[in-house]
Amino acid sequence: MKNQFDYVIVGGGVAAATLAKGLLEHKHDTAILILEAGPEIIAKDRRFWWDYITRGERPYTFTYDQKFEADSTGNIDYQTDGVRVKAYGGSTMHWGAWSLRFRPEDFNLFTNTGEGADWPINYEDLETYYNDAESFLSVCGDDRANWVPRSKPYPALPFEWTAADGEMIKAWEQLDVVYQDGDINPGVTKKIKSGKMPIARYRKCMTTGTCKYCPIGGRFNAQYVLDDLKNDSRFINFEIRINAPVHQVNTSSKSKIESVTYTDNLSGKQHTVIGNTVILASGAYNVPKLLRASKNEFWKDGIGNDYDLVGRFVVSHSMLNVVGKAPSNPNGWFQEYDFPTLMSHSYNTKEHQKKGKIFMFKNRTTPNVDIAQLMIDGKTREEIDAMVYGEMTVNIQAFLEEKGKFNNRLEAKPGKDRFGLPQTTVHFSRTEQEMKNANDRLKLLEQIIEKMGLEITSSRIDKPGGHHTTGTARMGTSPENSVTDKFMKVHHTDNLYVCSNATFPTGSAVNPTLTLTAMAFRLVDHFINKQPKINSKTKNVNKRDTIQKFLSGESHKIK
Amino acid sequence: MIGGPVCNENLSAGLIFAEGQHLTYQNKEALWDIFEAIGKNWSNTIYDSNNQRSSWYEMIKAKTENAPNYSGEYVNAIYVLNELYDLYGKEEAFKKLFFESGVDNSAPPTTRLAHCKIYVVNEFIRMQVTAGGFKSWGTKYGGEQAKNYHGFLGGTRYNRIPKVRAYDPDTTNLKNDQE
Ligand SMILES: Cc1cc2nc3c(=O)[nH]c(=O)nc-3n(C[C@H](O)[C@H](O)[C@H](O)COP(=O)(O)OP(=O)(O)OC[C@H]3O[C@@H](n4cnc5c(N)ncnc54)[C@H](O)[C@@H]3O)c2cc1C
Ligand code: SF4
Repeated sequence: MKNQFDYVIVGGGVAAATLAKGLLEHKHDTAILILEAGPEIIAKDRRFWWDYITRGERPYTFTYDQKFEADSTGNIDYQTDGVRVKAYGGSTMHWGAWSLRFRPEDFNLFTNTGEGADWPINYEDLETYYNDAESFLSVCGDDRANWVPRSKPYPALPFEWTAADGEMIKAWEQLDVVYQDGDINPGVTKKIKSGKMPIARYRKCMTTGTCKYCPIGGRFNAQYVLDDLKNDSRFINFEIRINAPVHQVNTSSKSKIESVTYTDNLSGKQHTVIGNTVILASGAYNVPKLLRASKNEFWKDGIGNDYDLVGRFVVSHSMLNVVGKAPSNPNGWFQEYDFPTLMSHSYNTKEHQKKGKIFMFKNRTTPNVDIAQLMIDGKTREEIDAMVYGEMTVNIQAFLEEKGKFNNRLEAKPGKDRFGLPQTTVHFSRTEQEMKNANDRLKLLEQIIEKMGLEITSSRIDKPGGHHTTGTARMGTSPENSVTDKFMKVHHTDNLYVCSNATFPTGSAVNPTLTLTAMAFRLVDHFINKQPKINSKTKNVNKRDTIQKFLSGESHKIK
Repeated sequence: MIGGPVCNENLSAGLIFAEGQHLTYQNKEALWDIFEAIGKNWSNTIYDSNNQRSSWYEMIKAKTENAPNYSGEYVNAIYVLNELYDLYGKEEAFKKLFFESGVDNSAPPTTRLAHCKIYVVNEFIRMQVTAGGFKSWGTKYGGEQAKNYHGFLGGTRYNRIPKVRAYDPDTTNLKNDQE
């Protein structure tokens, strides 16, 4: 078995797939090994699909962390169980594929608010890589929406708003964004704008709306990319080993990473493979655990952990949820897709950053009546009619931006999961001010539900969780403030990189994966020794000026 | 509980052992009767069930030619149906099975009747709704017919024509100008 490669990549999710694709397309005979801890779960299988339709079963849920394998401490429960797919393809097996860019202010959170951290790069440094990422994931979006500066149109058309979105859109038209105490310029009001949710369609949908197990591969799944790479005869030195958890990164000096050691879960044997470059693309949970587990004479507290920063600054989103009901639904509306179509960035702007930005959307499953379940329960047509055209429930949701704090830390706890990966514990607390901010933001959503003429039936802040965990090996300008540099190379090493949400110093208010994919493309560029397309921070461009121009609409396109 | 000794015979809750069994053409026709009766009893098809037949066959094939094999469940359902037909006549048998079975849909099935309800009838209902049965909703008060549902395989590629009841904004703030 071959044991020496140009690149050894740990983890087989979207980060790994993007890197492998980029590197192989640049040089076809590049020797790359991907080591994935989990098994392969077949995608696009008709039987799995029928079992999902008829029984609600999804074939990958057995790979999720169980409660005892992933827990949390602190003043707020952090949902770590039932979130991550540990398998070939990673969490893109079940992700929502919402693909949103971070906004310019997300890269300068500390500068703008005095809290959290700045990125060592700017939005401009990533803008062209966002184009690459959108093209790779085939993101469908609305070109008329200029929420963020973009130099290329979306590669595909957006999904339409559904009829059931209409009432919320109308309410938004009538309502103002209310700048609350803690925002810049409290008391100011501006119109709420409606937008169409950008989704990574990858291939054209057949509108079945079973996106948690798509029968035709419409939704992007890293597995499809990895399959294509494996089957491409040009890439003779590309290999993927599944059931192969890596538990140690080995060094021959402080700076030189030599190899990684993994266990073949099927034979129980340990193997060590040499990589000229080693990239940890094993997700924001595993990256810090693997770094800290890799202790040796050069790195007494684990690689990259001389300043005790690995695993710290955990950031996530909490979901804000307000549910309202109407007495009737004369059009018998239900959300006809399995994903949201309506969203708004009106509270996702710099002005709201200090207090915590929110990204609002209509819940992907409301309004809805599970007609089949009512039939199963023996309800007659008349009874079901009464329910379909009767009371209607609508749910507005928002992701709330969080700021990284030193004491919020993710680490290994004793014991391994069934794939041989260390178990997890997350220490996570919120300050009173953060709790208050979250409650204030919730009130904004309540106003919208009330404007729709609905009676509020529930209003709550869901716990944060592993879905969008970022920041556990964050990038920065020095080893004193970060784990990696601006190219995601672990400080003081020559050849160990992290390609993961773990490197994000801030989590924005939107989903992370488009940004991760853009970062992976940027890393590919770095590896193949191209000059990064723009580097505003090193060229000392007056970035805030530029951003101001974008935001004021003076220049909404980057030339 | 409805039915006689066949329906109420005790069985373990797991999938009925099916090794070596193949469904005959007649078996499939007998099962198709359940599917068709679902559409009729809930007035839940816009044409009749025949336009869903090829999808239904595909599901039966997927469920009987791959593990875990449903053939044993399907044969059991035919035993149950035969007894219900004898006791109540065909039309009434379906009414009893769909609306009065007394089976707890969330408990493990421990009788032949419960196996038939949970593994066959309930799954056929889900299939029926997603294969197009949902389309009969929306029109009651002059509304537009539903076009899509979780699980519905539309069959044509998504393009500019919305495959859902879409919101058509006349006055919407389309431009999303950055504020
Ligand atoms: C329910 C859900 C919905 C989501 N929806 C969206 C969305 O709509 N939009 C969006 O932008 N983001 C979404 N996300 C987030 C998205 O899934 C992640 O950002 C993305 O999958 C991260 O990709 P990754 O390649 O970094 O890691 P992962 O997908 O986690 O892949 C890492 C892989 O590494 C493997 N691994 C871990 N440790 C080791 C080791 N030591 N050795 C070998 N292998 C290892 C794991 O088994 C895993 O397969 C969602 C997440 C969840 C949970
Ligand atoms: S809408 Fe349908 S085709 Fe598109 S991703 Fe979802 S399940 Fe697949």
